Amino acid sequence: MEVKRNLSTFMGKRKNWSIPYILFLAFFVVTPLFLIFYYAFTNSTGGFTFDNFRRFWQQPEAMHTFVFSVGVALITTAVCLLLGYPAAYILSRMSSKTAKIMVLLFILPMWINFLIRTLATVALFDFLGIPLGQASLYFGMVYNFLPFMVYPIYNILQKTDQNLIEAAQDLGANPRQVFFRTILPLSVPGVKSGIMMVFMPVISTFAIAELLTINNIKLFGTTLQENIYNGMWNYGAALSLVMLLLIGLTLLFNGDGNAKAAEEGGLI
Amino acid sequence: MKKILANSYIGFLLLLLYAPIFIIIIFSFTEAKVLGNWSGFSLKLYASLFHGGIHHSLASALWNTLIIGLIAAFVSMLLGTVAAIGIYNLKPRTRNVVQLVNNIPILNPDIITAISLFLLFVSLGISQGYTTVILAHISFCTPYVVLSVYPRLRRMNENLYEAALDLGATPFYALRKVLLPELKPGMISGFILAFTLSIDDFVVTLFTIGNEGLETLSTYIYADARKGGLTPELRPLSAIIFITVLVLLLVINQRAAKKRL
Amino acid sequence: MKKFNRKQLLQITFLLFALLSAGFFSNECQAGETERQHVLKIYNWADYIDENLLTEFPKWYKEQTGEEVKIVYQVFDMTEVMYTKIDLGKEDFDLACPTQAVMQRMLNKDLLLPIERDFGMTPNYLNNMSPFIVDRLDDFSIGGKNAANYAVPYMWGVSGILYNTQKVSADEMSSWGCFWNPKNKGKMLMKDSYWDVYAMAAVYGYRDEIASGKRSLYSVTNDHTPDDIHLVENEIKSMKPYLAGWEADFGKDMMTKGEKWFCYAWNGDAVWAIDEASNVGVSLDFAVPKEGSNVWFDCWVIPKYAQNTKAASYFLDYLCRSDIALRNMDVSGYCSAVASSEILDAVVDSTLDKTVNLSYFFGPGHDNMKVNPVQYPDQSVVDRCAIINDFLDKNDEVLEMWSRAKGDNLFSGMTFLIIGVVVLLAAWIIFTFVKKSKSKKRRLGKKK
Repeated sequence: MEVKRNLSTFMGKRKNWSIPYILFLAFFVVTPLFLIFYYAFTNSTGGFTFDNFRRFWQQPEAMHTFVFSVGVALITTAVCLLLGYPAAYILSRMSSKTAKIMVLLFILPMWINFLIRTLATVALFDFLGIPLGQASLYFGMVYNFLPFMVYPIYNILQKTDQNLIEAAQDLGANPRQVFFRTILPLSVPGVKSGIMMVFMPVISTFAIAELLTINNIKLFGTTLQENIYNGMWNYGAALSLVMLLLIGLTLLFNGDGNAKAAEEGGLI
Repeated sequence: MKKILANSYIGFLLLLLYAPIFIIIIFSFTEAKVLGNWSGFSLKLYASLFHGGIHHSLASALWNTLIIGLIAAFVSMLLGTVAAIGIYNLKPRTRNVVQLVNNIPILNPDIITAISLFLLFVSLGISQGYTTVILAHISFCTPYVVLSVYPRLRRMNENLYEAALDLGATPFYALRKVLLPELKPGMISGFILAFTLSIDDFVVTLFTIGNEGLETLSTYIYADARKGGLTPELRPLSAIIFITVLVLLLVINQRAAKKRL
Repeated sequence: MKKFNRKQLLQITFLLFALLSAGFFSNECQAGETERQHVLKIYNWADYIDENLLTEFPKWYKEQTGEEVKIVYQVFDMTEVMYTKIDLGKEDFDLACPTQAVMQRMLNKDLLLPIERDFGMTPNYLNNMSPFIVDRLDDFSIGGKNAANYAVPYMWGVSGILYNTQKVSADEMSSWGCFWNPKNKGKMLMKDSYWDVYAMAAVYGYRDEIASGKRSLYSVTNDHTPDDIHLVENEIKSMKPYLAGWEADFGKDMMTKGEKWFCYAWNGDAVWAIDEASNVGVSLDFAVPKEGSNVWFDCWVIPKYAQNTKAASYFLDYLCRSDIALRNMDVSGYCSAVASSEILDAVVDSTLDKTVNLSYFFGPGHDNMKVNPVQYPDQSVVDRCAIINDFLDKNDEVLEMWSRAKGDNLFSGMTFLIIGVVVLLAAWIIFTFVKKSKSKKRRLGKKK
């Protein structure tokens, strides 16, 4: 009885419900991260070294590829935002059930295996006579990541308190002002969420660039993959730490906006 | 007028998204091995769809993918929901740290996640197979569930749970009757997202799959692509999956419409 | 009424789900019940073996040895993954099928076990293999270990150019130089494989030395001296602007669509592509340039952590049976290392008019065989092919050269874009920071 009561009290404190997941994270996310740190700072015989990072600094191609990938990610995120925001806005104006189906329709292509739908994109470009290159790269990127931009923005737009919009209208704002000064600012957490889910993954995808540009355009993900697959784990780990650094910067930019994003915008 | 413009914009986007899919469906009706070649109308691929041996067969790969996806998505949903509730109630500083760590699997390149999990399992001597794959999938799916459920908590009236406890409910009862109904939409979206990510995953699965001949759809497809080109039977398979899910969605939509009436 | 239905549906779904997982997990458990020494774990490329063999072998094995064996079959898509899993993952596969260079790498790193050749009462079919391939194994010996004891060749082939006869002539394809010809810009594909590209670039770069006899084809391909590496780098750099791209798997697909004019290919892939292309009205052919090329073979090895070496060795013996080798050839489309008369009978096609000299493979007296010259190259072709060794300790250096030569894509426009965005972001962050500190000051000011 005592044990049951204690368990009840323990479970009553909802913050303790996070413990299983924290343990899970510690084991499956943090520990592997330490392994990466270990590999990044050692050489093949196990001794401590900064060589891996020095190599990245000195090898212009790795650095250039990284910078280029950041650029591709920026453009992709911008395009996804430009295309996705209006889409999310329109969906949020639809009736709830229809909208849900429509959002699922945006997700549905993801259920077809990545390789075959990318090859189908290649076939599509062949059919249209457009050569594979930058055009197909950006198409492929936006194609794969647009749903991740639409989802969070749709979600937050849908939850925007209708009263706020009506209040703005009552106060005499015209539709454009209502949008830019009320709806848009309120949707920022969702936008931040969407950016987060598109920007970083684009840098680390390699298969899209490989298949849709016949390996002409190389992204950082390919560099990572090459090094890992050819056994150069130390260098590969160092490269992935470079990426983690970028991740850290991105999260910093979100700042406490990130906590807010998770709270108000989040994913769904 | 505005509505027509809006709907046609959505229609245009969906058209772009589905153009490659249509290509897959169209070319499922020909025997040519290469996607994009047309060698005459034929239903042969549909016929030979599940004609594989016990080893390395499309059917078993598909089955494994579904099972792994469903289990991983389901566990992620539970774990993520409980976690979201817990995180919501943490002190701000701890909360921020946990949210930061939660975001790492989302932002980390999947090959790094794959290799690090591979190293983890190898150094601990854990024999790889179904369990390791499912665990790995749970580890990169749960963060998305947390991100799905958390905002719902924010919107919810905080006092409902306390009120339930005060009225004599055990925490589990309060969870079932008060929290879960509020969080259900977030949980469902989290589940769908987790499932989608799991069935399409390749690298993480590749490195946690072990040596007992386990295959998922992704590893099967990629392995086949190397030697013999993309398995032609994939085209009818994808077409069938697509049509099935589409029909399901429409059916659900119809039922929802009926309910509203 | 509504609530009841939904709840029921949920319960049914959950039950179904639980049943499914139970059913599947029990399957898993059953699999684990067979003891490890009665299991044979095979790690192979996809579509590279007749899978019916996997059920027939246990019966044969029982006949020969009286022991049970259960086969667990796994496929890999890239050699590197296979290598990583065995080297770092210490996976206990009993058999793996690396390509010859990787086999040498594994041998060097002590990752292989010797193959037992004592099969008791069972006939030794390993002798069915052509000396042409088996003798090459000696070239791979390293660290005092003779590769012939550690590897059993499986399929072999040569590298060359797969080309569209309607777009380019056989004459143009008789030299690797076509890849450096600006006329072909954007119409040719190269393999994204540093082994193949290194060998090809080296052979083309040193073609005069090879022709005059100053250096042998083998030395050019395998010496990897700093001068060689430097030359290869320059060759790759000068070829790169004309390439349509570097393909890994789908080059032959693109060729069947008739989009590209020619690409680097292995003859097994060429056989497949020529056949598929003919179904859609595209005419392809295969040529091995006169400067020279390379011979490759995939071979079976027993990795270090294997637990059932006996069954593994017997399986290799089984694979070398003529009828079995023939079945594998049919399924994979490649050319078996087995050179028995049954194989020859099966590949001879009397409808062909040209003949091929196959004495190097099947033994003397086979000068005029009517076989597909793409699948079984003529003696003259094979004479100008060397085998590619692993780069061994030069591997890192060559990989670095490879990534340098292929270059990167950064151009000034992109750099400006990024700088611009970073500046904007920095400005925005500073702006919000200033705003916050200002409002904070105001609040504190008010409090006072």
